[in-house]
Amino acid sequence: MKLKKLLFSVAALAALTIATPSWAETELSVQRFFGACEADFGTNTDVDKAVGECGIITSLINKFNAENSDINVVVTTVEWPGYDQLTAQLAAGDPPDIVTMHESVISDYQSRNLLMPMDDIFKSAGIEPSSFTGAGVAGVTKDGKMYGMPFDTWTMLFHINLNLFKQADMLNADGTPMLPSSPDELLEQARKFKAATGKPYMIQQLANGVAPYTRLFYTFMAQQNSDFFADPMNVKLQSDEARNVVNLFKTIFDEGLTTIDMDYPSAVAAFPGGEGGVALNGTWLIGDYVAASEKEGALKDGYTVYPYPQLFATDASYADGHAWVMPTKERSDENIAATAKFLRFLTDNDYQWARTGHLPGVQAVFDMEDFKNLPHRSNIAKIAQTGVSLPPAVLRQFAVQDIIGEEISSAITGNKSVDDALKDAEYRVNDLLNNL
Amino acid sequence: MTGMVNSFLKPKTGSWSNALFILPYLIFFIGMLVYPLILGIELSFYKLDLFGPGRFVGFKNYVRLFSDKIFIQSVMNTLYFVVLTVPAIVLISLFIAIALNQESKTSGLLRGIFFSSSVLSVTIVTLIWRIVFIPNDGLLANLFVGLGWEPIGFLSRPEWALVAVAITTIWWCIGLPMMLFLAALQQVPKEVYEAAALDNTSKFRTFLYITVPSIMRTIILTVIIEIILQFQLFGQAQLMTNGGPNGTSRPIVMFIYDAAYKRWDIGYAAAASQVLFAMILVAAMAQYFFSSRKGHG
Repeated sequence: MKLKKLLFSVAALAALTIATPSWAETELSVQRFFGACEADFGTNTDVDKAVGECGIITSLINKFNAENSDINVVVTTVEWPGYDQLTAQLAAGDPPDIVTMHESVISDYQSRNLLMPMDDIFKSAGIEPSSFTGAGVAGVTKDGKMYGMPFDTWTMLFHINLNLFKQADMLNADGTPMLPSSPDELLEQARKFKAATGKPYMIQQLANGVAPYTRLFYTFMAQQNSDFFADPMNVKLQSDEARNVVNLFKTIFDEGLTTIDMDYPSAVAAFPGGEGGVALNGTWLIGDYVAASEKEGALKDGYTVYPYPQLFATDASYADGHAWVMPTKERSDENIAATAKFLRFLTDNDYQWARTGHLPGVQAVFDMEDFKNLPHRSNIAKIAQTGVSLPPAVLRQFAVQDIIGEEISSAITGNKSVDDALKDAEYRVNDLLNNL
Repeated sequence: MTGMVNSFLKPKTGSWSNALFILPYLIFFIGMLVYPLILGIELSFYKLDLFGPGRFVGFKNYVRLFSDKIFIQSVMNTLYFVVLTVPAIVLISLFIAIALNQESKTSGLLRGIFFSSSVLSVTIVTLIWRIVFIPNDGLLANLFVGLGWEPIGFLSRPEWALVAVAITTIWWCIGLPMMLFLAALQQVPKEVYEAAALDNTSKFRTFLYITVPSIMRTIILTVIIEIILQFQLFGQAQLMTNGGPNGTSRPIVMFIYDAAYKRWDIGYAAAASQVLFAMILVAAMAQYFFSSRKGHG
């Protein structure tokens, strides 16, 4: 009898659970890069305590889940940048609900109707498109519609070890580092630094990845006002401007003024380890390096950061932005409502994201006292004006980035002549663009 | 009645009904391998991306392929990688198998240890070997510094990158061939070795004239399996070197992957896949026919 009662109770409970969908959570599948850090922040909901891209985004999503019992955000972390996986998911008709995407990549997917315009969802979430930065809106707007929610603007920076600069007697009277204003001055300072410290001036990722080469190439091409993508379907790389950039970095490599052979994790770790004076890396590391400068070590109380110096006629830095996009798929009303709520949450917490070092995607964050008080932000604020990107009409920008980076790296490391590398890069990019 | 049962149980040689036994396998084989293969061949004659309609272009993708320096480089890289890995895997696993072909606790333990690398995923394997090869704090770098030598950028130098990937692959792949050789060695009658011992035959001659001929079928099988596997190099190269530097460690599969998922150029990727298929087929068949002609097939 007891067993019967027990079985009946279990069956009734099961039936009740199945028959009450209104109680059920809405599941939201979010696919992002920014790395995995479950061990450190897997359960953290106090976003103030989080550091770095991964820590902050993980904690933000944990907090959202904790505050919204009716929504369950399920995160898939992809290896950067994750577009191969997304492309396969879209081809298979099974994309996630929300995805992180570089603004430079949006055109690829939007031009194939693989992304949903987000204007309506912004309206339902109470998000004003004008609340985003001009750069962010420009980065996600295609054919008059917004195909992404701007989250930040990022660029590559000179992360500087002031302790080593002091050792090299390369500090100004006000304690700021001496930065070059021409290619010759860059070489002169790098040689002086190496002579004084015995360490290379630059820390660069030169193995297992080529994106940093391309970004510095774009920056110094823009500083020379080179319109190498005047025709979005036909790049011109066999130019004096391109040779200037590649020869400059080849000299730096040849003279041992940079670290060599480092992959990305090694290059990231080498800077707080005091293995060089200037790390060429992105905005996303500011938070981590500020934290490292507060601990004992080679960077202790000696960290600052600046945009790439102006070496040529125009002050410019290659910049891109991260955005959240919605792949085209069938969605329920509950899913759309949950998505709107999630996007609103991210927008409301854009200051927290800006703690990573990225420039905010929401304009109002620039005026927040908390943001203004974040270390070194005044040094890099000018990126909002000097940031340049490739024309949005240039498709497959990540594939283009790989080709240019691979060829430039071959020239810099001496595996090819500079002229051959630029010729091959031009041929390969145009072959790619002409066969879309 | 007994006669009826016997006639029912007796296999009807040459009867079509016997094919029913392999029907389930055939369905999967045709559905999951033959049909996609034919589709892939068809795709290679089209210009199309993942998300749009295609158009028939005949052999244009193949013509493009054979004038593409990057593709030719990836073909040469792959051939070099097969040459680096297949003989090494077969020889090392054969010698380990011979050394461990004895009934003792130690040999059992060592078999387990040598096989253990095979159960690791490519991600773990490449993580381990990255720690060995990275130039600053890597195992080899520390060793080189300890010996007063300049550390080598194994993963960033054109002459070393593919070699580093090959060493990783050899370490990863010796487990299965070793087990195949062990199984084969245990089939060789002990009496033959005893007779050789009575004749005072040297260990080398015993190996050459008794062991090798006795396990030749397994050696051929292993070589063919390894040729097929190593032509399909992808994960190790992608994770350790990303195909660099200067494309010197980019294998054909990575070329196909880039064409399909980075460029979305599916027809082009399909054409490269057919070339890879043909290369594997020719290499494996050449090995098979060469061995058959010698009477070992």
